[in-house]
Amino acid sequence: MSVLVDESTRVICQGITGRQGTFHCERALASGTQIVGGVRQGKGGTSHLGVPVFDTVAEAINVTQANASVIFVPPANAAEAIIEAADAGIGLVVCVTERIPVLDMVRVRAHLKDSSTVLVGPNSPGLAVPGIGTLGIMPQGIFLPGAIGIVSRSSTLTYEAVDQTTRNGMGQSACIGIGADPVGGISVSQCLELFMNDDQTQGVVLIGEVGGRAEENAAEFLSALSSSKPVVAYIAGQTVPEGRRMGHAGTIVHYGLGTARTKIEALRDAGVRVVSSPVEIGSVMAESLGR
Amino acid sequence: MFLFEYQAKTLMREQGIPVLEGIVATSEQRALDAARELGEGPWVIKAQIHAGGRAEGHVGDSEDLRGIEFSNTVLGVGQTAARMLGKNLVTPQTTRQGETINAVYIEPEIRSELQVFLAILIDGERGEPVCLASVKGGSQVERDIFDDPNNLVRVPLGAANQIALSVGHEVASQLGLPSSSIGAFAELVQQLHGLFVARDLSLIEINPLAIRSNGSLVALDARVTVDDNALYRQPAMGALASRGDQSGAEERAAKNGFNFIRLDGNVGTLSSGAGLAMATLDAITHLGGRPANFLDVPPVLEVSRVKEAFLLVLSDPGIKSLIVNVFGAGIMRCDTIADGLLLAHLEQPVRIPLVMRLAGTNAPLALSRLERSGLNIQFAPNLASGAQMAIDAADSPPAPRQTDSIARRLTQWFTWTKEGPRS
Repeated sequence: MSVLVDESTRVICQGITGRQGTFHCERALASGTQIVGGVRQGKGGTSHLGVPVFDTVAEAINVTQANASVIFVPPANAAEAIIEAADAGIGLVVCVTERIPVLDMVRVRAHLKDSSTVLVGPNSPGLAVPGIGTLGIMPQGIFLPGAIGIVSRSSTLTYEAVDQTTRNGMGQSACIGIGADPVGGISVSQCLELFMNDDQTQGVVLIGEVGGRAEENAAEFLSALSSSKPVVAYIAGQTVPEGRRMGHAGTIVHYGLGTARTKIEALRDAGVRVVSSPVEIGSVMAESLGR
Repeated sequence: MFLFEYQAKTLMREQGIPVLEGIVATSEQRALDAARELGEGPWVIKAQIHAGGRAEGHVGDSEDLRGIEFSNTVLGVGQTAARMLGKNLVTPQTTRQGETINAVYIEPEIRSELQVFLAILIDGERGEPVCLASVKGGSQVERDIFDDPNNLVRVPLGAANQIALSVGHEVASQLGLPSSSIGAFAELVQQLHGLFVARDLSLIEINPLAIRSNGSLVALDARVTVDDNALYRQPAMGALASRGDQSGAEERAAKNGFNFIRLDGNVGTLSSGAGLAMATLDAITHLGGRPANFLDVPPVLEVSRVKEAFLLVLSDPGIKSLIVNVFGAGIMRCDTIADGLLLAHLEQPVRIPLVMRLAGTNAPLALSRLERSGLNIQFAPNLASGAQMAIDAADSPPAPRQTDSIARRLTQWFTWTKEGPRS
């Protein structure tokens, strides 16, 4: 059993012929990810990086039996690409594209409401299941198959957590970067649920950020569990002063939520060990697992 | 992207939303003319900056001059404008330096018994726009709502491009507005939502909205923020922003797409990724140091952009050391960071100690280039030791000045990078 991705996952890349798509698919293929095709309108019938390219996601599924997609298309077309993949029946969509207009994502979220498709992102570094594959832009060579599930709202800090759990030998069961946009797909709490139900995962690292209320929701989710695997959290931005606020409304909508302090308190109350510096993530996780 | 109040009101006026006639003035003379053109007083004189809280803010060093002032005489309008223009306004929503007032907006003063707060913005968790409203409108609205959350009405608006008038009726009835105003209010909510969707806004706010005894409405203040990610399809909004007043370092940062905030410390920071940039500040503060800035350089391929980032952070005379914390991944590679630093050094010799924590894609290549550069660099194996090195370096005496000629440094540059600078 594994999280979101396993041996049966067959991946297509929407936007495979672009610079980013090419660079990251090449690396993913080299590390053994089962990328079975690509989609780029107008280039159907050609091949790229040794895999066939199709005009549409539906055609790609017909020929390759793909069940997952990673999206590298430019921001103006990214929302349509997500909807196309979901409508064609792709079960897992990872959207790396950043700078998608937020109202486009409002439309995507409404569209996915009655769909079984899981969306990771947008503005996500993707997800990695060490030993199986990488969907997205996470660097190769830092992972180690192992016991720690990592869920993160911050791309670059994800690698920090991966690095530390690789160095101390615990390794990762899966690593999910959910993306940093205000409106996105899979939530921190949903990722925690996946990890709690995964046999390989023994402990979970949660990397949060100031703003929003993903961490408060995660704390609520964990509190409601009868038993939880050890969770270690780090909240980025504890010492960052407030930037410009978005008028009265911005202050009101975020009131009492979203500060580092409220997030840390909520998580501690839910039994999470919250570290005050990112450098402690690996060692505190090891300690929690009695290693 | 923030718009000025007068720009926000122009948008609203085009949409048919009731706003007052007002005039922008950038000089005392223009302010005097404006007051006369607007007819009978009293008038209100409002500093145009990209932040709220103006009624609580102070202009310059004056104790008595706020960002929103009233006058009963034309002469008073001119005098107030003269005292505001060119000065900085510091409000609870600006940095400590405040923002320079380059224009004031002059309107007739309106008094009303009932002042409503009304806004539409994205509720990230629900993934749709939400309407917030309160009858406790005015500059104290946050306090009144925090004291009693029942003062806030919150109605989700869904994902459709248009909302029904019934949504506005629902908001009005929850607010308990007088029945004479409900029709106009419902229409207003629909218009605001229309503008929000048509213009790709991330916030539209009227605070206060005056509701007069005859039930008619008028927006006394207006705030609009445009979704930066949608500017490619909103050229008119981009054009409004270019008339904005971002100054100096912030403007340079924004032009290059950097997230930059200047702080009061002495340890400069440069990171890629907002999370890692925040973690860098956290690590420094945790160890007792004082960060001089927050700088998040989004992943870029161009060395020239990285060079700009270094020049930006090094332009702060207050920094005594600089920590670079980059985890190469995606399109951001560590050698791009190294090359950017070396190019910046060519343009503006770097005289402060540097701490480099580079990991991930092409880190060894970056390290070998930097090792040969002759710069005062310590390499940190991880963030914790790097933060400590940078703090120690900031507290130690400065390194001796380098007096290399440009030619010598250029020669060095080609030695460092066999293929020469990439653009």
